[in-house]
Amino acid sequence: MSEDKKTPLLDELEKGPWPSFVTDMKKLAEKKPAVKDVLDQLELSYAEKKGHWKHGGIVGVTGYGGGVIGRYSDKPEEFPNVAEFHTMRINQPSGWFYTTDALRDILKTWDKFGSGLTNMHGATGDIILLGTTTQNLQPAFNEFSEKGWDLGGSGSDLRSPSCCVGPARCENACIDTLDICYNLTQEFQDELHRPMWPYKFKIKVSGCANDCVASVARADFSIVGTWRDTLNIDQAEVRAYANNGYDIKGMVVEKCPSNALEWDGKTLSIKSEECVRCMHCINKMPKALSVGQEKGATILIGGKATILKSAFLSWVLVPFMKMEPPYDEVKDLLRKIWEWWDENGKMRERVGELIYRKGMRVFLRDIGLDPVPQMVAAPRANPYFFWWPEEINK
Amino acid sequence: MSEDLRAKVIEYLGKVDKTKTRDMADNLKEKKSDVDKIVKELAKEGKVEFLYIGTSYVKLVK
Ligand code: HEM
Ligand code: HEM
Ligand code: SF4
Ligand code: SF4
Repeated sequence: MSEDKKTPLLDELEKGPWPSFVTDMKKLAEKKPAVKDVLDQLELSYAEKKGHWKHGGIVGVTGYGGGVIGRYSDKPEEFPNVAEFHTMRINQPSGWFYTTDALRDILKTWDKFGSGLTNMHGATGDIILLGTTTQNLQPAFNEFSEKGWDLGGSGSDLRSPSCCVGPARCENACIDTLDICYNLTQEFQDELHRPMWPYKFKIKVSGCANDCVASVARADFSIVGTWRDTLNIDQAEVRAYANNGYDIKGMVVEKCPSNALEWDGKTLSIKSEECVRCMHCINKMPKALSVGQEKGATILIGGKATILKSAFLSWVLVPFMKMEPPYDEVKDLLRKIWEWWDENGKMRERVGELIYRKGMRVFLRDIGLDPVPQMVAAPRANPYFFWWPEEINK
Repeated sequence: MSEDLRAKVIEYLGKVDKTKTRDMADNLKEKKSDVDKIVKELAKEGKVEFLYIGTSYVKLVK
């Protein structure tokens, strides 16, 4: 019945020089009736300017509370093949490194139990597999599981932690992002699979302040690599940049956000205590400048998109923490934060919003951290620390 | 002690269609983290399932 439907609006998206998801989906629709129904339902949505997907929660696999997102068509009579069209999340490997064999293997299982449609990758970092039926969820999960894959997080749980490629590809990496991400994922399997919290919680790990996984904007808990000593300067290479006509003063020194650099035409010098480790100068002159020797991470808290309150960028919680396996310090901190949030948070309140509501000083006191100047974004900008009444010596 | 709580949790879940673990802990006058621990065990044994309707609920597998 749906075979003869026309899709004039979607067809417009096949025109132009770019690859088209419509073309791809039409190809897949030849062997997957569900994909044909997705296209037809989308055509209807375009015509009516109205979505026809319903959320629904009551789907999952045994022992897991996350990883499957219920999706139903609100027009099941018209589009019977997408009456149930659930999404599965598969936890990605650290840094999204796969062999092509591994990818083919995932797709083979998905072709067997699902629509064949994927989204590589979702905002959480997972492999997103779009479209299967309630009945196929458990067998699909079982087969993925036998092949060594696991579901990722969804709902009110720890979402699949994610990280930048870090030391595998990048000389800026101050921490082993891949190992940290993997280690935390293994440590917190319960938190990932069995949702118990007021809302979601995301951990993202970047090897340096370039923050290639945008942890500051997208994660409740951001681990960002940094260094404690002074960045390395190779003066000969600096002069080589200058000799090649590079405008060191204009492009680097004057762009340093904290005025930490000086260039006299021969030597580039740095006032390390002024440097905020922003990565700008290193990015501009990678042959001459590099990250310091004494490496660790800055821990930030509270980033999120608009939900109860507007979007927040995360802010500094611990200016410098050593990051060595088994990462006990960061794990302890996470557990304390979760306990506090779980005890005090309202439904659908992210940890950043709770801190905002309760106040930073209450949060710091309850998790046992001392306030430090690095927590202040700019003088007078967020003066959230006050003395407690009992601390005032009258 | 934890056997005790386990029995209380199962009894509570038997009386409701679904519940947030927060509410269950409050009604049982127990710490939420203790109740959550039991619920996780029951989930792994396949005795409890999770629902997601705006937030997470748990219920006994029928
Ligand atoms: C066989 C096909 C393709 C190959 C071999 C390929 C290869 C690459 C490579 C090597 C990069 C650089 C990755 C890096 O920064 O390390 C890249 C980036 C990118 N590609 Fe492709 N690509 C292909 C198809 C496509 C298609 C079909 C699209 C769009 C529909 C696309 C969109 C992009 C975008 C947007 C980036 C930039 C990503 C970023 O900066 O984060 N590519 N691609
Ligand atoms: C024209 C068709 C579609 C467009 C343009 C579209 C676009 C998007 C975009 C931009 C995102 C955010 C991705 C990201 O931030 O990484 C997203 C996420 C998502 N989409 Fe779609 N989508 C389409 C169709 C569908 C369909 C048909 C389904 C399921 C039936 C679906 C389910 C989802 C889910 C579950 C996510 C969340 C993934 C995550 O956050 O990890 N989408 N979509
Ligand atoms: S965040 Fe830093 S370490 Fe990670 S990939 Fe980007 S530049 Fe490299
Ligand atoms: S890392 Fe940033 S703050 Fe530090 S010296 Fe370079 S540009 Fe300045």
